[in-house]
This record gives sequence, C-alpha cells and structure tokens, in this order.
Amino acid sequence: METPKTNSIVLTIAKYAFVDEVRQKSMIVLFILSTLSVLLLRQCYKGDYMVNGQALSADAIALTLSKVAFHVIAAGAMFIAALLTMRVYKRDRDEGTLSCILAKPIDRWQYITGKILGLWALSMLFMFILHSIVFFISSLSMKTLVSAYLIAFLICSLNLLFVILAVFLLSLMLPDIAAFLCAVVIGIVSLTVNGIYSFSQSQMGQAMMQQSTEQVSSGLTWWKAIYYSWPNVFGTQYLATSLIGNGGVPIYPLINVLLYCLILGVLLFVRFRHEDIV
Amino acid sequence: MIELQTVTKRYGSLTAVDRISFSVGQGEYFALLGPNGAGKTTIVKMLLDFTRPTAGTLSVNGISSKEPACRANVGYLAENPRIPPNLTGWQYLQRCAKLLGIQRSEAIDQSGKIVELIGMKGREHTKASTYSRGMIQRFGLGAALIGNPKLLILDEPVSGLDPIGIREIRQLLESLKQQGMTILLNSHLLSEVEKICDTAAIINNGKLLVKDSISSIIKDGETLEDVFVRLVKG
Repeated sequence: METPKTNSIVLTIAKYAFVDEVRQKSMIVLFILSTLSVLLLRQCYKGDYMVNGQALSADAIALTLSKVAFHVIAAGAMFIAALLTMRVYKRDRDEGTLSCILAKPIDRWQYITGKILGLWALSMLFMFILHSIVFFISSLSMKTLVSAYLIAFLICSLNLLFVILAVFLLSLMLPDIAAFLCAVVIGIVSLTVNGIYSFSQSQMGQAMMQQSTEQVSSGLTWWKAIYYSWPNVFGTQYLATSLIGNGGVPIYPLINVLLYCLILGVLLFVRFRHEDIV
Repeated sequence: MIELQTVTKRYGSLTAVDRISFSVGQGEYFALLGPNGAGKTTIVKMLLDFTRPTAGTLSVNGISSKEPACRANVGYLAENPRIPPNLTGWQYLQRCAKLLGIQRSEAIDQSGKIVELIGMKGREHTKASTYSRGMIQRFGLGAALIGNPKLLILDEPVSGLDPIGIREIRQLLESLKQQGMTILLNSHLLSEVEKICDTAAIINNGKLLVKDSISSIIKDGETLEDVFVRLVKG
C-alpha cells in the first residue's frame, strides 16, 4: 500500500468535512431560514423613503440597503461559521472519524488543513449564496451590476477563516459551547472597538477630543490600542462594505485579520501535533 | 515488524507504561494481555502515534511510529469502533479506501469482498445508526482490512459479538494469518487468545511480566487464564 499523495488526501478530508456538515439537519434549517430572511429584503427595496423631507432616489435606497444587508450577512456568516466549527472536533472524536483517519498514513497537519478547508469552503458557499441574492436584488433595483460585491465578499471570507481557526483551536482546549462563546466575545469587542474608533475619527469625535479633558483623550487612546491589537473582524467588514459604497476605510484591519489567521494557524498546528487522540 | 525499545509513558505522576521492550516478527500472531489499566491500549496508541512516548522508541517495519509512513500497511480496529451514524457501512468502507488513496473501482471491489468476509452482505447499505454493536464491530474490522494491510492491530476485536460471531471472527483472523498477515491482538478473552495466538506478552501496571510463545508460557496442566492470574496477582 502506497502512502497517499498529500494534496489528494487533504482534498478528500476537506470534501468529507464539507459533506458531513451539509448532512447535518441544523445546517439545512439554518440555510433555509437565512435564505428566506434575505429574500424578504426584496420588499424593502420597493419602499419610499424620506430623509429631511426629501424622497430618496431608488439608487440611493438600493445602495444603502445593499450595504446594510452586506453587513448583516457577513456578520451572520461568521456566527454560522463558528456554530459549524465548534462541534467538528468533538464529533470527529466521538464518532471515531478522528482515529479512523489518523490510524492511516495521514499526517496531523493534513487532517487539520482538510477540516479547515472544508469548513471554510462551506461557510464561503453559504455566505456567497446569501450575498448573491442581495447582489441580484440590488443590481435589478439599480439596473447596474455592483461589481465590487465580489471583492467585498472575498475580503469578508478572510473573516470566516479567522473564525474557523479560532473556534477550532479553542475547541481543542475548551468545551465546544465555550469555544463558540469566545468567538462571539471576540466579535462583540471588535464591533465595539470599531464603533468607538470610527467615532474618534469623525468630525464630532475630533472636536470632542480637542475640547475634552485629558481623561477622555486617554480613554480614546486606550480604545485605539485595542483597535490595533484586537482581531479586527468588523474593521475588515467595514473595509469590504466601503468597496460597495464610496471607499475611504483604512486597509489595516485586513492586515490585522490576515496576521491573526497566520498566528492561529500556527498555534492550531502546534497544539494539534501534541494532542492525545482518544 | 513491530519493535518497542524501553518505552515509557507517563501521565503526570502516573506511569502507564514502564520501560517496556519487545518485538513482534513478520507473520506472527501476537497477543497483548493484561488487566484493565495495565497499559495495553496506551502501547497501541503509541504505535499509531495517537500519543507520544515519554521515553523510548517504537517502530513498525523499521519506520519510527512518529512518521505517518509507518502506518502505510497497518489496519487498526479500535476498542470501541464507531461509525458516523449518517453513513452506511458501505459508505464507511469507501471512505476508508479513499483516505488510503485507493482508486474507486478498486475500492468497490475490495469493499465487496470485505462485506462478504465480515458476514455483512445485505446490511451494508443501511445506516450505521441502525447497526448493533456487533455489526459496528464487524464493519470496524472490515475497515481495518481495507487496503490489504500487512499488520493488523486489533483492540478487543470480539467484544460485543455473540458466540457465533466470535467464532466467525476467529476463523477470519486465522485465515488472515495463513495469508502471512501479522496480527497484534489486544484482548481479555484468554481462551480465544490461547486458541489462536503464537506469542503473548502479559503486562501489569505498565510493566512487562512475560513475553514468550503461548506454548512456553503455559506450564503443564495450566490454562492461559491460570498463568495470567498467577502472574498478575503474584
């Protein structure tokens, strides 16, 4: 018996990780509910909206709604990626899949890579389908194709990779629900920090900082430090959404998430190398 | 085929395996015996690199157990084999074949023969969630046979089987031995071991008590069970 080729084995494990998740009833229910929710958005595009007594144009409505929908879908996809990932390791261990795979001439990094790729592909597909629905609705409303959607989608898919790596790593050390909650906390902190950072960059924020006491300024500096060091998933999402609109968001969050993916990837491989298989 | 050199495994202050050395030759039918917690499963896990030894080395076919290549010709049946409940026995065997890089046509051919060999013809296309423990055990053994391994590592292969099933599996293992397969058997069923194994090692509290041929271990008028009890208690 020959040792199977690395690429083919990783792809096989990825395929099985993908198929096993799709077969889960909870996954099917999540997908149907999410698709129906996004389809309901269609009605919002047909409404009349007034701002300061002036009616908004159809293009402005479509653009604003598309950006809002993009945010919601991207955040929802991260949530779903965390849900999908949290039970993978435990299920593989409990159902004997882990020992079945690792008793074969398969390296541990191949198992991890395959699992991560499978989960990433599935979450990306999930997000892609939901984004596609919004893309077609907004393209029909605006009567033009919003080409930046694809790039924005690809940028957000990096967030999914981050979530999968983080939850997988945490699920090796913590109960699955705790791993999931940790990922949620990372997301909430990122959202909060981004909100404060955006405010500090706004005209109002700048004016406040000039007039404020030292205490307020140091408070904002503190949040700025977290903004730069914390996994900036929502910053990446703002960056992606800005591509659909008018741009102007710094690229730093993307580099931040990329770096975190690399660090988590290395930690995951190192941790799993020393994991006892039961 | 299998070589253990002064292998030690500690979990904190507990020494699960204490400087054990032995070897298993090509074509040998070897039994690893010992009471619960003796360290048998830990040895099997170290051979498969599921856990790393604290000291010492293990190798299969001259390749260190740390290298995945050492498992290229190894079939493994876990103590409590499990099959994902949403898969059928057939799908499970196909998956195992695919993970070994076996071509689809060859995998179908091998799976067909194995299903007959393990006596599961007609049940291979039903979901594993409907299988009894004995049936899962049979499919687990079938999965271990995929790829025609040269070494079979079996952890309690007959647990959960009825007497007829035990006899069938014994006959199957005997025929595999005749084909030149090396078998490492981890079992509590001493009467079965006595019937089919060439050599045995008895371990207790992580220490190797004896390793010899079954005929040398058993003295006149004794059974393997008598020897086992005497050595473990004594």
